[in-house]
Amino acid sequence: MPLKFGPISEQVEQMAESATAVARHDLLAETQKLLRQADPAALRATLSSRRQPFPWLVAEPVDTFSAVFPAPTPPPDFSVVAADGSFIPPDRHSPLRFYVINTGCAVITYGQYPDAHLDSAGRLYFEDAELYLDPTGRRVPIEGERLGVYMAVEEMRTLREALGLASLPAVALRDGSLILWALQRKDEPEVKQAFLAPFISCLDDFLRAGVPVASYISYTGSQEVVNALRVSLCRDDPARCDHCSLSADQRDLCHFLGTLRDRYLFAGILTDGDRSDLFCSRSAILDEYGKHRVRFFYLNVGGEIARIEAPEWVMADQAMLDLVHGLVYDQCQRSGDYPPYPPVLMEAHEQAVINTTERRVVEQLIEEALAHRGMTYIRSAKDRSKRSRGV
Amino acid sequence: MTDESMTNEAMTKSQMAKSQRIGEIVETSTTGFVAVSKTLHQPPALGSLVKVQIGGEDYAYGVVAFGTTTSPDPGRRAVPRASDEVYDEAIYAEQPQLSRVLHTEFTAVLVGCFEEGAIRQHLPPQPPRLHYDVHECTADEVCRFSERLVYFRLLLGTQGEVPAEQLLAAHIRQVYRARGRDAAWLERAARQVTSLLRDDYDRMMTVLYGIEPGD
Repeated sequence: MPLKFGPISEQVEQMAESATAVARHDLLAETQKLLRQADPAALRATLSSRRQPFPWLVAEPVDTFSAVFPAPTPPPDFSVVAADGSFIPPDRHSPLRFYVINTGCAVITYGQYPDAHLDSAGRLYFEDAELYLDPTGRRVPIEGERLGVYMAVEEMRTLREALGLASLPAVALRDGSLILWALQRKDEPEVKQAFLAPFISCLDDFLRAGVPVASYISYTGSQEVVNALRVSLCRDDPARCDHCSLSADQRDLCHFLGTLRDRYLFAGILTDGDRSDLFCSRSAILDEYGKHRVRFFYLNVGGEIARIEAPEWVMADQAMLDLVHGLVYDQCQRSGDYPPYPPVLMEAHEQAVINTTERRVVEQLIEEALAHRGMTYIRSAKDRSKRSRGV
Repeated sequence: MTDESMTNEAMTKSQMAKSQRIGEIVETSTTGFVAVSKTLHQPPALGSLVKVQIGGEDYAYGVVAFGTTTSPDPGRRAVPRASDEVYDEAIYAEQPQLSRVLHTEFTAVLVGCFEEGAIRQHLPPQPPRLHYDVHECTADEVCRFSERLVYFRLLLGTQGEVPAEQLLAAHIRQVYRARGRDAAWLERAARQVTSLLRDDYDRMMTVLYGIEPGD
């Protein structure tokens, strides 16, 4: 039945009213003041001395909270390499269980010898050992979040292979976090084992090649720095808000911080091309990243705040850090009339995407291959009723 | 009408190999084909004569009727990229990926064929094959094909992006140049146009104005 827009439009008005309230503007200014005044050393001491986990993910400033760095000029000749992936997930309405992963890569070289290489590689997975972790034991299906992690591993492999076509200096970029959040679940050790090792192995290869690898997160939803300010503001235990000794104004600010995203905070601090100082992510899975522990900074790419993540061996090397900062910003300047977004990531995405027609072709290939062997491809009754809707 | 055959030297395979490969067919039909140009931004000239092999020593002739440069993905459109400092050719150095995500296509309408050792000015019996190369015709081939002008009827009967009379005028200009500005041939072509379009003054004049030598 059609969506009834009457009640929804009222709720839209209420949401817009809430998002644009004047009080939020004043509290944002207070937050920016707090960013400039908060003591990073004191916060680092608090973080290292606390035994219990914090109720929120808190970033740790490597140096300062509020230093700003303008974009370095890129070298005259350089390459940017990117990889992206997409998948057709297992479909419970299909008589056969399979999934498809397609990875795309783009290598663009700028300067005296401009060039571009775009390619994709797809694979259909159908063997038991490919569909399940521990296929003879627990049979943990590779689907949902796990499939997303597997795709991230394949993207990193593609990114690593594409390096061979790049001219140095180069930066390797991927879309989406380097932090494999989904592996933090303690009840699935075989998932972590299966996916983390190959991912780390790819990062090892980048380190050996001396090529910085970074991830680009557009319109980041992170609250890690804001949460750090919340901890900084707190006089008691951040996990026990019922025992708060802050003044009413400070409680309002703390409550506001709970709703604020880092991108809004830094939008008022960073001008075009500027990056923030560096922060360490304290996500639990990073304990297993070793020397590839992830750090990040925020970057004003011209109209948007992006989050750039990279292993600490990149961020601790001034030349690599400047290269990542300079080339990522340079990429976003080349978007033309598009919104600022790295063309190399855009092209990698275009290579990776599997459109509806292509999904149907895969289904058709399977149907024909089965028919050739005397088997009819019949999907579930529920799915068939959705595809051929009637009254 | 008698068999429209002409005596000509057969085209050898080595001559075919010498003529330049300029595109690959991606759509084909009885009346024409669409090809992707080997070089971005450089389709063969409007009205020029091209050929494609259709089997053994036989090939079909076509007249280039349209050209365009776009993204092969219909969901992607060109967006402005120029700035005060970067424009025209410099945009392609600034955005190297453009050469990989754009292609140039051209359309050709079929106007004849070379089969069984003779040039014939009617539609070939079979459409050209997908993925076959398109070759530009040498000046020699253009001269031989254009000795008879019966195929002008085929050109005037086409319906495409470019009005048929504009296409015919473009083709006559191309042939005139390939024949070394052969004034006698141009006069014959003009008389043929007058004869074919005598009942449509506007279209006739469009062609005649379009083929004035001017030099």
